[in-house]
Amino acid sequence: MAMCTVLRCFSVSLTSSFTRLSSRNPLTPAKLLAKTCYRRSLSTNTPFCAALKFTDKHEWVRVDSGVATVGISNFAQEALGDVVYCGLPEIGTKLSQSDEFGALESVKAASELYSPLTGEVTDVNDALADTPGLVNKSCYKEGWLMKMTVSVPAELDGLMDEAAYERYIKSIED
Amino acid sequence: MPVRKATLRVVNLGRICYHSALKIQQQHIKQHLESCSTPPNTLLLCEHEPIYTTGIRRAPYNLKEEQRLQALGADFCRTNRGGLITFHGPGQLVCYPILDLGCFKKSIRWYVCELERTVISMCRMFGIEATTSPDTGVWVGENKICAIGIHCGRYITSHGLALNCNTDLTWFQHIVPCGIVGKGVTSLSQELGRDVTLGEATPKLLEAFTEQFNCTLTYDLNSVETQ
Repeated sequence: MAMCTVLRCFSVSLTSSFTRLSSRNPLTPAKLLAKTCYRRSLSTNTPFCAALKFTDKHEWVRVDSGVATVGISNFAQEALGDVVYCGLPEIGTKLSQSDEFGALESVKAASELYSPLTGEVTDVNDALADTPGLVNKSCYKEGWLMKMTVSVPAELDGLMDEAAYERYIKSIED
Repeated sequence: MPVRKATLRVVNLGRICYHSALKIQQQHIKQHLESCSTPPNTLLLCEHEPIYTTGIRRAPYNLKEEQRLQALGADFCRTNRGGLITFHGPGQLVCYPILDLGCFKKSIRWYVCELERTVISMCRMFGIEATTSPDTGVWVGENKICAIGIHCGRYITSHGLALNCNTDLTWFQHIVPCGIVGKGVTSLSQELGRDVTLGEATPKLLEAFTEQFNCTLTYDLNSVETQ
């Protein structure tokens, strides 16, 4: 259900983008390409792409203009329960792929978070200090955890796309 | 074909220093994470000397607070578990399940719920009506009889639960247990009006564990492990 919601949000975004485009002065082909390319699979040649990729530890990552935003999936937030605390890294922390970068606390349980990529932390979501529940309510948007640089773009190719992640979840639940 | 039950190996550490038990937990976790084969899921049972411990939310407990509690004659330890401050000491049955949730269900919320149900079931064996509440743990009315605080990394659990059997509950007066103002603590002995030892409670907790987690137990007879 979460995947459908995510895809629906992207569909709505695409439609409204086209509506805005037609009502303005025509954009250059490059800008039009940038707005629509998130539907294509991510590769090292398209740094503008903003498709969600997933790890087997249920973190998601979205790369936009060379910056990766990281969060946890809907499956993960449901399995955790109500998040009451987010332990996040300092800005500037250097992480290798799969390094522990923090922990989320829910129901008196601290669950580790693992970096989906190699890079450096550039931002953390300060809103989570006062409203950790955003991780449950809006895990793909307002509940993002951190942003980081992408030192090894090829690592993205090894992550699951939405369809593969959905299959992965089904295989766990069976 | 019948579903194969998971097996839990019970290791009774006896009266052991908190830090030593922590090291033993780490060794078991390491076995799960680094082993090519499937190491056994383990239930560590123990009892500690007086100590106050905190979880990953460290901000409420500064150095001054640490020193205040140490001045009472207790040790102090900051851990990576969930939950706020609690007390461990003689008369309290502490249980650290080092489990691979992959053998059960890969959900921390499910796991914590099962731990609560296990303790509630155990209390029922004593004729005590225990419940859950919005605050994680097991309660008898407004008083907590068992605290829960867990860590989970790569689906391997550590830390666990602390059940008051005949604990000296006055130790809890120096803290706000688990950060919950206005509620108290209790023990099996307090509820039943008689002395209930770890020796009496342990088999009942293990029985409740096998039922709730649908598992079989094996016992490490030479249980008192050293680090």
